[in-house]
Amino acid sequence: MIVERPKAASPVETPSLARASERRVRLMRWGLTLVVIAAAFAAIFFDALRGGGAVYLYQRVQTFVTIFLGIFIEAVPFLIAGSIVSGLIAVFVDQAAIDRYLPKAALPAALVGGGMGMVFPVCECGVVPVVRRLYEKGLPLSIGVAFLLAAPVVNPIVILSTYSAFGWGPVFVGRIVFSFLIAAIVGFLFGRARPEEVLRPAVCQLHHDASHPVHSHKHDHSHHLPNAPLGLRFQQAFNLAGDDFFDMARYLILGSMLAAGMQTLVPQSTLLAIGQGPVISVLAMQALAFVLSVCSTVDAFLALAFAGTFTTGSVLAFLVFGPMVDIKSSLMFLGVFRRRIVVYLIALPMLLSLLMGVWWNLNVRW
Amino acid sequence: MDVLNRPKFQNALKALALLVMAVFLYTRLASGVLFFYINQRFIAYTIFAIVGLVVVALSYRPTARRDEAGGALHSHHRLGWVGLAIVMAPVALGLLVPPQPLGAAAMQNREISVASQARSALPAAVRAAAQKDAVDRNLLDWLHAFSASPNPAQEFAGQPVDVIGFIYHDERLGENEVLVNRFVVSCCVADASVVSMIVRWPDAASLPDDAWVQVKGVLQPGEFNGRALPIVVAQEVIPTALPNQPYLYR
Repeated sequence: MIVERPKAASPVETPSLARASERRVRLMRWGLTLVVIAAAFAAIFFDALRGGGAVYLYQRVQTFVTIFLGIFIEAVPFLIAGSIVSGLIAVFVDQAAIDRYLPKAALPAALVGGGMGMVFPVCECGVVPVVRRLYEKGLPLSIGVAFLLAAPVVNPIVILSTYSAFGWGPVFVGRIVFSFLIAAIVGFLFGRARPEEVLRPAVCQLHHDASHPVHSHKHDHSHHLPNAPLGLRFQQAFNLAGDDFFDMARYLILGSMLAAGMQTLVPQSTLLAIGQGPVISVLAMQALAFVLSVCSTVDAFLALAFAGTFTTGSVLAFLVFGPMVDIKSSLMFLGVFRRRIVVYLIALPMLLSLLMGVWWNLNVRW
Repeated sequence: MDVLNRPKFQNALKALALLVMAVFLYTRLASGVLFFYINQRFIAYTIFAIVGLVVVALSYRPTARRDEAGGALHSHHRLGWVGLAIVMAPVALGLLVPPQPLGAAAMQNREISVASQARSALPAAVRAAAQKDAVDRNLLDWLHAFSASPNPAQEFAGQPVDVIGFIYHDERLGENEVLVNRFVVSCCVADASVVSMIVRWPDAASLPDDAWVQVKGVLQPGEFNGRALPIVVAQEVIPTALPNQPYLYR
């Protein structure tokens, strides 16, 4: 029997609505690109006015390109790896398995999601396509959000690199514990949300078909192809990987441009000179983490340079907040979540890690 | 129907874009320009990316089996002109703007760590630096050595120095003084920080920003920004070519 769902809750939009939303998305992409380019030009010219002229301008452009390509070339291997894993999941992972083995209640789901990075060691570029694919397979929202935020820190590689930078101590323990907690809390908060409010329409529809197979009256969206020959299944997996790569690379590239632009134009010293107060120092380091967009596998070594001069709480905030959210990853979130949700995914970790950093500065003497 | 929307054209376009990106990365690798962008220990990752891109690109090739499967291989994602332009932006920028490592222009935006300013560092790196002979130490080694000492200006006075770096004129420097610098990279240039030593040399003013030099000299107690620290009194300043690896690695 086909159950007619109420219109408001229906994830399947009518064709005209779908076209309108598609146009909105396309407009937004154009708008975003134009804003990035306009901002970069405005900033560069404003900067050139301060002195230098054409040579100076050219050097700035060159610095911008070098940093942009640096971030991009560093991130590409992780993005293509994440896309390939995502393609393989699409073809070889059975939806029923996700349904059967992963918890659906918000609290256990958030806890499982926070720890999943130990099993899938991915960084912030690789995790986004994987999470998106898992959502299409019907992964509960809480698990995905917690996994997305925690995996860049709570994974063996990053734990090792943090240990080799800071050794056993407050920063090492604090980073892992608080990353897990904050990710789990944010994940838990999404426990009651409906997928159609959270996910982008395209992701949501597949998510819905996967988690409500009984209601599904559309053709099977699964890429599972259990009866196809193995070679064809691999080809399909790599095809999907390529599509994922193109989808995500756009956000990665725009994000890297923004980060490189900020780095070229905003002097680090302005951020660092802002202050040493227990609150202000945390905010400054969060801003720095957001602007730098450094890969989580090495940011510990970078943070080391600030460990002597900055409060422990602020260094911790840099190491907890930076991997969860930075310019490039928050742009990549747009490929999975609705815009409003992306704002939450930036704001909630920011506030929670601010709280953590300030609390640490005021109360903890390790 | 728009040419762009034909499945065959879409597949060809995607495959081509991926291959172009792979070739771009390969040429960076083959020409050594890759070291302008990332830490050398990440080379393996770049090679992996090249292989991954090629494998994924080849999966878009037309096959007989694709038709047999009755359209089982379908893709939801359509690559438009805007998407294509954005994805090709790194390649375009990489080819249009001649590759240059970070230099003097990037220093204006960064904290300059001139010796002796207390910076924490990896204990292992500090120990390794301390074990090196004075003339074998690079700029980063010297900085590590200084950071381990309570009074580096006095402790290191008289030691011989032989370092390579690029020139940067800072307005806070005294007459006949110039900064010799290297960028230090742990992952990619986004995390670059700069290490510098002050060099005293009669012709300092004649050295242009960004010129690469080898400096041979002796450490003497000096001052920068009201802070006591060791500076290099140069005996020789030899212009050199850009090193194969312009950055030092943490």
